[in-house]
Amino acid sequence: MLETERMRSHDGAWQPGLRESYLFDRNVIAEIQRASREGIYDIRGFGAKRRVPHFDDLLFLGASVSRYPLEGYRERCGTDVVLGTRFAKKPLELKIPVTIAGMSFGALSAPAKEALGRGASEVGTSTTTGDGGMTEEERRHSTTLVYQVLPSRYGMNPDDLRRGDAIEVVVGQGAKPGGGGMLLGHKISDRVAAMRNLPKGIDQRSACRHPDWTGPDDLEIKIHELREITDWEKPIFVKVGATRTYYDVQLAVKAGADAIVVDGMQGGTAATQDVFIEHVGIPTLPATRLAVDALEELGMHRQVQLIISGGIRTGADVAKALALGADAVSIGTAALIAMGDNSPEYDEQYRKIGSSAGFYDDWQAGRDPAGISTQDDELAARFDPVLGGRKIANYLRVLTLEAQTLARACGKSHLHNLEPEDLVALTVESAAMARVPLAGTNWIPGA
Amino acid sequence: MSAGRVIEIYKEVGRPPQFVEQFRLEDFEGSHGLGHTRMATESKVTTEGSHPFSTGLDLCLVHNGSLSNHNRLRERLRREGIDFQTENDTEVAAGYLAWRMREGASLEEALEGCLEDLDGFYTFLVGTADGFAVLRDPIACKPAVLAETDDWVAMSSEWRAIAVLPGAADARMWEPEPTVVYAWEKALV
Amino acid sequence: MAVETSEMTGVEIVDLASTPLRELNRRLHGLADGAPGPRRWRVLNPNGAHAVGCGLDADIDVEIEGHVGYYCAGMNKLATVRVHGNAGPGLAENLMSGTVIVEGSASQSAGATGRGGLLVVYGDASARCGISMKGIDIVVRGSVGHLSAFMAQTGCLVVGGDVGEALGDSIYEACLYVRGEVAGLGADCVEKGLEDEHVAELARLLERAGFDDLDPRDFRRYGSARQLYNFKIDNAGAY
Repeated sequence: MLETERMRSHDGAWQPGLRESYLFDRNVIAEIQRASREGIYDIRGFGAKRRVPHFDDLLFLGASVSRYPLEGYRERCGTDVVLGTRFAKKPLELKIPVTIAGMSFGALSAPAKEALGRGASEVGTSTTTGDGGMTEEERRHSTTLVYQVLPSRYGMNPDDLRRGDAIEVVVGQGAKPGGGGMLLGHKISDRVAAMRNLPKGIDQRSACRHPDWTGPDDLEIKIHELREITDWEKPIFVKVGATRTYYDVQLAVKAGADAIVVDGMQGGTAATQDVFIEHVGIPTLPATRLAVDALEELGMHRQVQLIISGGIRTGADVAKALALGADAVSIGTAALIAMGDNSPEYDEQYRKIGSSAGFYDDWQAGRDPAGISTQDDELAARFDPVLGGRKIANYLRVLTLEAQTLARACGKSHLHNLEPEDLVALTVESAAMARVPLAGTNWIPGA
Repeated sequence: MSAGRVIEIYKEVGRPPQFVEQFRLEDFEGSHGLGHTRMATESKVTTEGSHPFSTGLDLCLVHNGSLSNHNRLRERLRREGIDFQTENDTEVAAGYLAWRMREGASLEEALEGCLEDLDGFYTFLVGTADGFAVLRDPIACKPAVLAETDDWVAMSSEWRAIAVLPGAADARMWEPEPTVVYAWEKALV
Repeated sequence: MAVETSEMTGVEIVDLASTPLRELNRRLHGLADGAPGPRRWRVLNPNGAHAVGCGLDADIDVEIEGHVGYYCAGMNKLATVRVHGNAGPGLAENLMSGTVIVEGSASQSAGATGRGGLLVVYGDASARCGISMKGIDIVVRGSVGHLSAFMAQTGCLVVGGDVGEALGDSIYEACLYVRGEVAGLGADCVEKGLEDEHVAELARLLERAGFDDLDPRDFRRYGSARQLYNFKIDNAGAY
């Protein structure tokens, strides 16, 4: 409401004869002015804000005469998925194909991490640690917890490695493929500093390469070590930011991954240079297609599971990612929003820190009025992990129900029976990227 | 696949033990040899894409790593008349060495030129008619071990490959410094 | 299975020429949490194998008779692992506690991200020794390569020989002691004075490593200038 008024007042500056530049629009002008004032690149949270081809550009072909739909609510549409069936003795058995992506304690408050665990556990899915180690809260409240191995190795230890239900070797993330982690000084509290063995209050810039391996040949040896340490029980995921996805997925398979997480450029971040977020990586849509191509060529599709993330918001996104060949998806940004990030409830306080509900992306700053992306005890105390967990569970249920609704309409008794052939594209771009025909045609550009 | 009078190059797609048997490696005689297995990163798993790449007469290159500016360099070298058969980054490095040496550079000079003109990660091993040379990029992530005795010199990614050689236990062993060209000729070995 | 117990010595012997690595590590892991079993082990014919004795969590002695590949004694807790040979990359990576000794030389990233315990190398260690170290103590009798102690957080790196380029680049609070030449210091790494407290600390480390023939006063100390801890535009060139 208030934001609308502000926009109106800005637009109110317009008079006949004034023309805003498309090239130098008000955001560009503001950024040049900021850069010249501050002398440092813009660091922010959230994910890419530019428009890119996405699952919205695809539509399902519901059943009609040639195909028969399933009854909603009454006829079963399965949602379960098993991740890590290739080598691990104990693969993850999830009730829904929507998991919670890795987000660090440090980036998020301890109660926020707890809420993610509570919500995921309530609906039978997994949550993931992050670049900062495992907290007791999240372990206690997560039935299924994926433990990340990152370049920084903050909080890394063999006990937590074994307490994890799966291991995720993080090579990169969609918001910044080729970049390392960041946590600015105001979020390095005593507890975060202790977990990361860092001085309090410093600006932490993590390495972009792992300290003890480089390249796919080393990765194979690293994965072998992790398997030996955990006695071949845990599934090992490899997470990559989407760029040269076809090669990266094939190399992850060759290096011995049980499952591969591909994070498209829309994937969120707590703190990254804006230029990195908006200009590196490929969208989730083409990344999904390339990843499936890579797996199919190796004969490993469904043998090595594919988890897609980066801009999953609705059950439609879930269903479309699965139809293109993903085994599961992960949510990050959407989960934070579900817990109360950018809630109008806090609009007044967002305004005090120069933002507004619906626009807040200063997750790096640690001043989150919602108590999620902060290490300030007072702010974090506002966040109720039980209520937050319930919201996460509700949201995950809605995503699942929506995906089931679409799958039933296509006549599927399991989400995994969705196929690319159930989809058409609305735009030439999305048709080319997803390799499905433009709606009403048989045309797949570039095929 | 060899170009030259002294060096012979054999390549195949498959497992090393099959290769050894197929080409009867144990019957080979000579003063020095290079062996390489490849985990293809961006180009295809083919015989053509296998290392070593011939860098001209009696010169060949194997590479561990991944270059990041080889596409434009390949175009530049094509204009200089260097032929390329694959999209492989290592072939570009080989072509670069061939071009520099054609223009009059010594092997050492050509390798030093890599530090200026090649971007990315590389541990290079170059075989010549009478010896070999080693170079690592400035960051030097990809492994390399050198060992030397009065009787032989060896280079490998891992010590285990050298450890089986006679007298390896007493060899002088070290890891090559980044950006330093190491070269041996038979006369000196 | 080629496992035999020498009744005379009480040493459990595992020959990796005939026993799979998985079997060795499985048996060693079985000793965690005070579980009964042999406390002294000898591993024969490692032949450069990777991940030998990784993930141990018991107060045991493991002697490895030969060369090992990547990640030997990775994430070790409590155990003492001694390699009578050379070690490949990532030796004792993320060491938690206990002691790892290599009588030969170690390849790159030795002691990477280690959080505790002691790593001793009799020969040289190469590039990135002690990268991202988080509390481990590393004592190298010989020299170390370039980018050693990169982003080193806490703990001590002691080098009896020389050091390659960019020592301690982007270092945090780790303490570096070098006896020989330093080819170059990395960003934000500076030489600091060697006070009595440092001499005492160094003497303790050298003694624990068994190098008490080295005089701690022959070393120089390096650490963080702490100029890059918070971004300042004037330092942009150093990033």
